[in-house]
Amino acid sequence: MRASMTVLGIESSCDDTAAAVVFGTPDQATIQSSIVESQTDLHAAFGGVVPELAARAHAEKLDHCVELALRDAGLTLADVDGIAVTSGPGLIGGVLSGVMCAKGLSAATGLPLIGVNHLAGHALTPRLTDALHFPYLLLLVSGGHCQFLIVKSATDFRRLGGTIDDAPGEAFDKVAKLLGLPQPGGPSVEAAARNGNPKGFALPRPLLDRDGCDMSFSGLKTAVLRMRDQLVEADGGLTEQSRNDLCASFQEAVCDVLAAKTSIAIKAYKGLSPATPSFAVAGGVAANQAIRGLLETVCTENGIAFSAPPLALCTDNAAMIAYAGLTLFDLGRSSDLSLSARPRWPLDQSQAPMLGSGKKGAKA
Amino acid sequence: MILAFDTSAAHCTAALLSGGKVLAHAHEDMAKGQAERLMVLLQEVLSEAGATYADLTAIAVGTGPGNFTGIRISVSAARGLALGLGIPAIGVSTLEAQAFDTPGPVLSTVDARRDQVYLQGFGYPDAPPPQQRALDTIAGLASPPGLTVIGGRSDAVSRQLDARATASAYPLAEALALVAATRLSEPQPRPKPLYIRPADAAPPRDPAPVILS
Repeated sequence: MRASMTVLGIESSCDDTAAAVVFGTPDQATIQSSIVESQTDLHAAFGGVVPELAARAHAEKLDHCVELALRDAGLTLADVDGIAVTSGPGLIGGVLSGVMCAKGLSAATGLPLIGVNHLAGHALTPRLTDALHFPYLLLLVSGGHCQFLIVKSATDFRRLGGTIDDAPGEAFDKVAKLLGLPQPGGPSVEAAARNGNPKGFALPRPLLDRDGCDMSFSGLKTAVLRMRDQLVEADGGLTEQSRNDLCASFQEAVCDVLAAKTSIAIKAYKGLSPATPSFAVAGGVAANQAIRGLLETVCTENGIAFSAPPLALCTDNAAMIAYAGLTLFDLGRSSDLSLSARPRWPLDQSQAPMLGSGKKGAKA
Repeated sequence: MILAFDTSAAHCTAALLSGGKVLAHAHEDMAKGQAERLMVLLQEVLSEAGATYADLTAIAVGTGPGNFTGIRISVSAARGLALGLGIPAIGVSTLEAQAFDTPGPVLSTVDARRDQVYLQGFGYPDAPPPQQRALDTIAGLASPPGLTVIGGRSDAVSRQLDARATASAYPLAEALALVAATRLSEPQPRPKPLYIRPADAAPPRDPAPVILS
């Protein structure tokens, strides 16, 4: 029987400042508290997250979030066994603030520190919420990432494929911006799509004619831009209805691509003959109900269990970081006080990079 | 015992003071890598004096102005340490620290690059509040008799004000601790970076389409 641990998690890699406390073992952990301070209002006027503004906010909010998370859990730092912090990938200014705050806490208390890959946090969330067994198939789909991974253990991720350009979350944000809808784009495009006709506009489904699990979303975004410009030129503006139809058509195109590629990924995953075949979707875009619904159908058709974390654990949060940290501590891992913040940090480093290069390194 | 540190420019520096006396001091020039080095350096400074974090009564941290990321590295670490130790962290700007203990009117400056400086005046009627200024507009500032200019680009600044350029009375980390010590008797706000310059953020260039009703 493994010993239970109480782990404090800290997350600041994008535009949410978060802290949480998780208690338990890798096989059975519970969230004691989870604080997420959104910066949505801060970035609203700029049509997207401004890294410097985000970093400024994180630096002055993190310690407050930690205090709130401890208070909500009814604990003090003396009750905590370890500190987990997102040390990448993400907007480096925010990640750095989180890492330095965590190092300060660790140095002050003598508690062990562990740097957690933000993507591993998302990827391991189905273990926290649904106690999924390894290996499971994961679609990690967020603002910055989109990839199919076979999660073999808390530290072993095999990438089956992913986006070759934009992530869907990025496409949702850009489409919202193009159509004058508020940020973040995911929820606002989804809401508009509910009142729109998904067949209203013909939009491309890139790479559906190809084998494999790779995807592309940047052309889709450009197609929406062209449609918008045509409508604006013809009518001098966009009607509410055409905006809704554009959103619905865009969302359906994303759904179709994700569904088709999920089917292919499931076949590859089943080749491993997992004892309890299961698929999970994680990341901010997993909060989209249309995408969740369609992926669940695909899983049912393919005879594989489907799971998706509750909405609050799809978007960025620190509970997933605390849980991932807990599993790493359980494996005997920890970081020292020279821990680096990394802007990029692919989960599967065994394969050749498919996206990003240069000074910052591979993105995926 | 006060532990002071700063990473607001191309350095990583720390000092440990007790009763105004320096127990240990370190200063390393580095263009990058402060995030990795800082906590290790702090441990070295404490060890050199045979002290531990438990001996501290306060943290003093440099709040800039300077490199935005560098300022946040120290301020975030200071806030984490303060929370973990249950002691105050006191933010002190480079501008205040440099001017500390220099008699008479002082204009404290920090190089803001591209022929700009951050500056703040101390000890005279028209002393300018913290601000960023182009070097070629310095002549518009007040120049009281006996003005001393301290800090980055102080030669260029002092020439225009007919003032004297001199070095700071103490190394930066030491000065941060000394200034913080003067504030210990009263509750202090949590340290905040002194950016002076707003974030580069512009509204989207592509305007949203008109929505027809």
